[in-house]
Parts: sequence; structure tokens; C-alpha cells
Amino acid sequence: MAILLAVAWLIRSHHERSRVQGDWPITVSEVKVFLPDTHRLKVDPGPRAGLSVLNASGEKIGYAVRTMPDSREITGYSGPTDVLVVFDAEDKGIGVAIRHSYDTPSHVEDVSRDFLFMEKWNGRLWDEIAAITDLKAANIYGVSGATRTSEAVGLSITHRLAVAEGRETVSRPFSFGLRDFILIGFFLVGCLFAFWKAPGWQRWRWIYSLLTILGLGFWMGDLIAQSLLVGWVESRVPWEATPGLVLLVLASFVLPLLSGQPVYCQFICPHGNLQRWALKVLPARMKMIIPEDGKWIGRLVPVMLLLVVLAASFLQLDLDLAGLEAFDAYLIKSAGLATILVAVIGLVLSLFFPMAYCKYGCPTGWLLEFVRRNYGTARFSGRDWVGLVILAVALVLYRIPPSWYLG
Amino acid sequence: MAAKGTHLIVRLTGVILLAAVGSLLVGRPLAIKRQEGRIRTTLLAVQEALQRYHVSEEIYPKKMMTGHELVRFLAESEFIKRELPNPWTGDPYFSESSHDWLRYRTNSTAETYELVVTYPDSEEVQFRLDSTDHQSLE
Repeated sequence: MAILLAVAWLIRSHHERSRVQGDWPITVSEVKVFLPDTHRLKVDPGPRAGLSVLNASGEKIGYAVRTMPDSREITGYSGPTDVLVVFDAEDKGIGVAIRHSYDTPSHVEDVSRDFLFMEKWNGRLWDEIAAITDLKAANIYGVSGATRTSEAVGLSITHRLAVAEGRETVSRPFSFGLRDFILIGFFLVGCLFAFWKAPGWQRWRWIYSLLTILGLGFWMGDLIAQSLLVGWVESRVPWEATPGLVLLVLASFVLPLLSGQPVYCQFICPHGNLQRWALKVLPARMKMIIPEDGKWIGRLVPVMLLLVVLAASFLQLDLDLAGLEAFDAYLIKSAGLATILVAVIGLVLSLFFPMAYCKYGCPTGWLLEFVRRNYGTARFSGRDWVGLVILAVALVLYRIPPSWYLG
Repeated sequence: MAAKGTHLIVRLTGVILLAAVGSLLVGRPLAIKRQEGRIRTTLLAVQEALQRYHVSEEIYPKKMMTGHELVRFLAESEFIKRELPNPWTGDPYFSESSHDWLRYRTNSTAETYELVVTYPDSEEVQFRLDSTDHQSLE
């Protein structure tokens, strides 16, 4: 679990960094111009979405933000301008610099050379700048000959800071609807089947199994999948919008860790249940046995898929993670060809090789099993080594600069 | 001993096959992303050169041009470096190439510019940078 949490933290941190830094990351050397003691820039995932400026001993000595992409709609003569704004530890502006501009180069140069304009921001507090709606009223006048460019630069700064202030007041109302009740209901009944082994109760499991396929799968489409998990880790867990699904996912990871029971995989997962039904289609004599080498290789398929998921997430590739698993196929109207193929092929294989997809194709199942397997054992297993490899790959992907893979 | 060797070969072959599948899955989207990065860099260089041209001539170039033609035109007046690479081939954009999906156009008075990159052999727009509605790539 610790390995999974570490990988999740790395993905999260990487995406916060990308979100804050955008296409043109602020560098230490840019900030050093204003804060010579700058040693490191730390991403601030908060509403300000900027960078804390740290000195060599790790103390915060300032804060830096860029105006793009928030201010991309504010244009001068012919385009927007990306401005670096640096504050000191007391939140007072200590310098602005033009980083890149789509505006007329000569006007941009005029603005950047006009110290009177560029230094008008110094000494003003963040809140004070963010509250500016009229530059002239705030005693900030455009640069002669480049009025529109300089005004655009000024408004880009005020807009960027004001947007950050606005982010703090975004409210997300909590909603707990019928869908959430049903999801929690599915989970609780699944737990009952997992932990209460009374034959009188267990004989109803086939009904529950059908209900998960039809209800949880085809009707709701709420299956735990890499696309869902990675999306949550990259951005945020929408606990207030879909509390039922969040609880289902949370419990599906925590229960196997605490109890050793793979509740989701064995009882709740619609695709798992569909494969269990597929088991019964062909007579036992038609079942095939996978040789040991085949099993050994097959068990690496989910690991390979997890590494692909990691690469897609860290490198922000245009790769639909839903297509790597069978689960989105249940959303028939919107399912892509890849996910349908994975689901159908997985099911056909399950006819001959019992639970083939669960055992040799499901990266989400591998994660849930990874959490479970280590329950109560002190021994370091092969799975733990694979987990460490996944963590190592995540670390490498986290550390490599985008220029390395983008060329 | 021989059986153990066979097992090892089979498993190693399996691992190599899986690595190949993984590389295929990641390789294509990564190549697309790298290509996009190169196109963006080229677009920014061309856009900045266009702006410099506009400052000097007070209008944008009047003719519709391909990327190669525009780069050659701007390079001849030294608004852009001759070595700027063609993002699709890596060769200097100054030399003509059939792999060129950048198009430049202006309005009737040459007061605006539009740089459009389409997907290869397609009319679908991949990037658009102009002086009116799409003024940045961010």
C-alpha cells in the first residue's frame, strides 16, 4: 500500500507541477534576478497555483507566478504576453519580467525597457494588485508608444492574481443521491457475501452477481478502472460530487488490506462476475490448462499495462487509458473499440481458461491484489519486487525533464 | 538442465514480447507529442518573425504561402534564421519539402495573419495561431 501511495503521490505532484508551470516552466534563474538567494522553486498546489521560492536552507523567501495561461485572453496589439511576477516573503511585489509574448516584438521591448512601468508593481501587496480594475486609478500608466501592450501586460498581472483570489471561493456542494446509495448498497451486499458464509445466504449470490453485471455494469457503468484512478490522482478525488463511488473505491483498496478478502474483485466487479458465468458455458472437458511458463508470462501482462499507464500519465500522452481495460465496454453507448475488444477477447478466453482476464489481463485487479497479498506476511515477495520496479519507473518518469522526451 | 534452459528462453521471449507491446502502446502517442512540440516551436519562431516583419513593413506578407515559402521569404529579409528546421522532417525549413503542413494567409489589406497547421494529408486543423481569435498556443 505504501508503494501505491508513493506512486500516487508522484503522479499527483507531477501533474500539479505541470498545471502550475504550464508549457513554459518558470526557472530558478528567472527568479534569481529578483531574489538572488533563490535555490529551489516549490509548486504550490493551492488556489494561487504558483511557486514558492525557497533558499538553500529551505526557507520560503518569496513567491512567483506567471500570467499565462490564465491571462491568455488579454491581448495587446496582436497577442497576449506571459509575465513573471515575483513577490517577497511578505507578499509584496518585488519585480515583474516579460517572459514571452505573442505581441509585436518592438512594443514588447519598449515595455520591458520602461522601468517606470515595470517597477510600478514593486512594493504592492498581492491582494492590492489583485483588486486593481482600473490601472490609471492605481497610478499605473501605459508606456508611450506601446500603450496597448503595456496595458495588456498590466491587466494580465491583475487578472492572474485576481483569478487566484477567486479560486479560493469556489464552492463545491456536497450531493449524496440515489446513485450513491445504490453503489454503497452494492458494496455492503458484496461484503456480506464475502464475510458471511452461511449457506442459506450464499445461495442467493447468483442473483447478486447478475445484478452487479446489469446494474453496476451496464446501467451505472461505475467500475473501478485505471482511467478513473489515474484521473482522480492527477486532479482530485470528487468526493462531494460522487461520494458513493469514492467510498466504493476507498473500501475496495482498504478492505483487502485489513481483512485479506478481495471483496471487489471476487464479489462486486461486474466483469469478474460475467467471467464466472462464462465458466459455466462450456463443459469442463473443453477447458484448457495454461502451461507454467505461460502463466508466468501472463502474470506480467497487467504489470506491463500498469507501466504503460504510468508512462501515459507522466508523459501526458494522448492515450485513452479506458482502452487498456475491459471496463468501459459496459458503457455501451460511449465505449471505444479498444475497450470493447479487450472485454470481448477477455470473455472469449475465459470460456477456455477460467477467469483469464482477471488473472492475466487486469491491471486494476493487480493493484487490488497487490494490496491484499502483503496482508499479514513479513516475507518480501516477488510482487513486492515488481511493486518496487513500478515505483522506480515512476520516480524516473517524475525526475526526467519534459525536454528529454519531447526533444 | 536443458528443460530449465527452455523455460528460461520461453520466459525471456515472453518478456521481450511484452516489452515490445508496451513500447508500441507508448511509442506512437509519444512520437505524436514530440512532433507537436516541434511544430509549436516552429510556429512561435515564425509568428515572432511575422511580427518583426510587420513592425518593419507595417503590413504582413500579402501572399498566401506554404510554411517553406513563408520561412524562405522571412529568412531572405533576415527576420528568421535560415537554419530553422522543418518540424516534420528535421531538415532546414528553408529547403523545399513535400512534408509541409503549415499554411500562411492574410486578409485583403494584409493587416492580419493566420498560421494554420493541418494534420498530414488532411484538412483537419491541428494548430491555429492568428492575430484575431487564436493569439496564443496556450
